[in-house]
Amino acid sequence: MAEQEEDKWGVAHVHASFNNTVMTVTDLTGAETIAKSSGGTAVKQNRDEASPYAAMQMVESIADEIRAAGIEGLHVRVRGPGGNLQKSPGPGAQAAIRALAREDFEIGRIEDVTPIPHDGSRAPKGKGGF
Amino acid sequence: MRVAVTGTPGTGKTTATDILAERRNDVDVVHLNEVIESEELYEAVDEERDSVVADLDRLAAWVDDYEAAGDDGADVLVLDSHLAHHLDADRVVVLRCAPEALATRLRERGESDAKAAENAESEALDVVLSKAVEAHGLDSVYEIETTRSSPEEVADALAAVVEGTREPSAGDVDYLDYL
Ligand SMILES: Nc1ncnc2c1ncn2[C@@H]1O[C@H](COP(=O)(O)OP(=O)(O)O)[C@@H](O)[C@H]1O
Ligand SMILES: [Mg+2]
Repeated sequence: MAEQEEDKWGVAHVHASFNNTVMTVTDLTGAETIAKSSGGTAVKQNRDEASPYAAMQMVESIADEIRAAGIEGLHVRVRGPGGNLQKSPGPGAQAAIRALAREDFEIGRIEDVTPIPHDGSRAPKGKGGF
Repeated sequence: MRVAVTGTPGTGKTTATDILAERRNDVDVVHLNEVIESEELYEAVDEERDSVVADLDRLAAWVDDYEAAGDDGADVLVLDSHLAHHLDADRVVVLRCAPEALATRLRERGESDAKAAENAESEALDVVLSKAVEAHGLDSVYEIETTRSSPEEVADALAAVVEGTREPSAGDVDYLDYL
């Protein structure tokens, strides 16, 4: 990639916990934060719907800021399994990626970098990873 | 009855389950991390994490055999491990601890900074809770916040789950600010 091209790319870091999804957009090195969502907290009674909805709102709230920084494409790093009864990455993360695409950002590499609980042993990855 | 006590390493499972077993004759505790090691129930080694990759099928079979052979008169088999939610269980307790405090506990227990950090991040992201709910459903999961509880108080909460006087719960903590 030429240097000019590279400037158009950023990284969207999606943190998806059981009830909450937060997104931070940085430059490619991760050193400079371009935008940070306040986080979409799911409504407890309605988790299934609330999580993707919250993720959409989260993306909408920072899309202009990302564009203003000249970012046209985003690599996505997902951390966390996301909401209950869902497959990893959770509904918050998937909804966030869809919402980014809908805002006309080009989506690059999507990486799952969920940490693994370990204590002398850990679970195998394929079987849910953690 | 089988009760799985899971939670990120450092949440206090081994400490609390030992207290529970001392208090109650009807409870037999098995510390699965020791079994995985002594029975060599693993399929690979994760060098980066200085951990073995557990063979969950053989672990499940070992627990079934242990339970079937049960001749110690205990009514309640308690499985202590951060992997316990990967096994069948009637009730699944998930111990929780604020990530900063959890990292401190692990470092004080003598663990490396890398191990403390990855486990603290796992705790911040509810990794074990999400997996436990995915595998067992909201009706079988009992989340217990321990950050400011003594080990005795955590053992009290475990006893309430065993006795059936505590309601299932999940998703009551939010540690995401840690990141
Ligand atoms: N309720 C508690 N409050 C403070 N420290 C605790 C508590 N329970 C356990 N600890 C300490 O935290 C560390 C981790 O506890 P441990 O029982 O080994 O956790 P686990 O089995 O979940 O990995 C130990 O050093 C232990 O002494
Ligand atoms: Mg332990």
